[in-house]
Amino acid sequence: MDFSQTAERISLKIKQKGQSVDSKKIEAKLRRLVEEFGVQPAEAERSVTNELAKEFNLTGIGTMGGGGGGGAGTKEDRSIADIFPGEWVTIEGKVVSILSPPSPAIAQSGIIADATGAIRFVAWAKANAPKMTDGAWYRIESAVVDEFKGVANLKIHSGTAIKPIEEDRALIPSMVRIGELKPGIASVRAKVVQEWETTHERMLQSGILGDESGTVKFVIWKEAGKEKLAIGAVYTIFYAQVDEFNGRLSLNLSTASYIRDEGDIVVSGGDTEIRGTIVHIAPGSGLIKRCPVEGCNRALSRQNYCAVHEIQPKFVYDLRIKGWLDNGKKTYNMLLQRDVVESLTGMTLDAAKELAENNPLGIDEVFLRMRDAVLGRYVICRGREIDNRLLVRSCERLKMETGEHAALLNRAGGVP
Amino acid sequence: MSNGGTPSLPKRDVGFEREPARRVFAAELRECRYQFREGDDEKSPTFVLLPTGERCNRVFLVGTLTEKQRQGDQNIFYRGRVVDPTGTFFVMAGSYQPEAMQQLAKIDTPAFVAVVGKPNIYQTPDGAYLVSVRIESITVVDRETRDLWVLDAARATLDRLDALAAGTAPDAARIKEHYPALDPAVFRKMAYESLAQVKI
Repeated sequence: MDFSQTAERISLKIKQKGQSVDSKKIEAKLRRLVEEFGVQPAEAERSVTNELAKEFNLTGIGTMGGGGGGGAGTKEDRSIADIFPGEWVTIEGKVVSILSPPSPAIAQSGIIADATGAIRFVAWAKANAPKMTDGAWYRIESAVVDEFKGVANLKIHSGTAIKPIEEDRALIPSMVRIGELKPGIASVRAKVVQEWETTHERMLQSGILGDESGTVKFVIWKEAGKEKLAIGAVYTIFYAQVDEFNGRLSLNLSTASYIRDEGDIVVSGGDTEIRGTIVHIAPGSGLIKRCPVEGCNRALSRQNYCAVHEIQPKFVYDLRIKGWLDNGKKTYNMLLQRDVVESLTGMTLDAAKELAENNPLGIDEVFLRMRDAVLGRYVICRGREIDNRLLVRSCERLKMETGEHAALLNRAGGVP
Repeated sequence: MSNGGTPSLPKRDVGFEREPARRVFAAELRECRYQFREGDDEKSPTFVLLPTGERCNRVFLVGTLTEKQRQGDQNIFYRGRVVDPTGTFFVMAGSYQPEAMQQLAKIDTPAFVAVVGKPNIYQTPDGAYLVSVRIESITVVDRETRDLWVLDAARATLDRLDALAAGTAPDAARIKEHYPALDPAVFRKMAYESLAQVKI
């Protein structure tokens, strides 16, 4: 586990109070608590922060002993970008998003932003706090910053004062590049590079967004007023939630507002390009059936059997190609999803279904035709490489290039 | 997985890695005389040593299928000849490769074909050597794929020759031992002539 970020955060907090601590030392403390004593990382952070605060006799950081006892400095206005879990803070910001509360214990949750950044807030039902309105400015005094799923969270409790700010202030969100995203709330300008099949019936859309600095997965859940993104289009996305799962980030656009933008972005990063030949098409390619149970989506056997949900007569058809891509030096296990299969083979899902229904060989006929259309062909595949497996985003037939031919002739040496 | 053999041998890759299909012209494959296996395991791959200095367990070739022939009574198998700018590949598919055999049986000659297969060296009773490719898959392709292959095979041949000249070829020692009389310039010329035949 990597503690350097947490250590950095703690060290920054101490530094703000005019003291300095070696972040290596903090890291060692954290590591010891988590690895040797099995303490939860969030708890370890709190405990180390408190320990250091005590050591330097600091107030205003760490969790105070007594309830409601905001130390010195809580009345001092802070920038949202500079607040950290474990602090009591006062901020002024604009509510940019209101979410439906996930539990009755929560009265309201949403996102509040200032010019430096944005943070998710949660008002507990017990706090009896006045409801805030989307788009309005507020001064929030003595709220607690804690951490939820690795993301900083502003907790509004019974000791927190919320005061509306009447004047209308302009708010220009600070934009972040995708390559620099961290868990939390972020605004990005990005292009929709790929759309995936949804794996859950509550999911509206998922796929990949990219900018010049990298790519990130995104998801939009079904909710009133939410619209799908158009593939290939550029959007400015305000206040999306950046989640982390298994060390990978994803953008949840349910909290976000997005508007379509002019122009184009050259998306880079996280991408592999491989030129080679398709040397094998594996069984299970072509027209396949998927389990209709929400969140499952597994490929079914020919008898419509799902490994988890047993017989599923109401399956969903899909196209895919699994196979080996070989450049003469290395062989890659490749996986093409429906849209890539359709554009490479020229056979749409509907055409494949029709072919399977009207042919004595059924889905085997689809497999054979696709095999004959792509096997032994030179292609350029672009996508993400994970452990020798290439998740292909685009796959095109390679074309003859005169320049390459001439270069090779020169290289071979012009011997008559 | 087998990373088998005696402990003194260097371990090949941990976990499964499919052997890549080498791009080789017919004139080079025809010259192969040495075949070896790394490790004693039943499943250890067999390699044919290419004269330009690379081991080869699998080949990818594109050329014109000019002839095919059904043979055998009990054990049916198909033989075919695939021609590239430098010569002829002998390909075959037997009842152990039913899918490849059906694919080959369906193709009308002549046709451009792409073949993935495993090379083997045979010695005839009169002492002559024959290198044949056991087909894993064979598909009909277009002329452009054939031309792309000629470029690809030429590039791979030149890469191997460069590595051999630089002394970085992984099987350089074996080349010296088993192909002492071969002149690398022959293969450079072969690559050049093949490229010259491609009309753009």
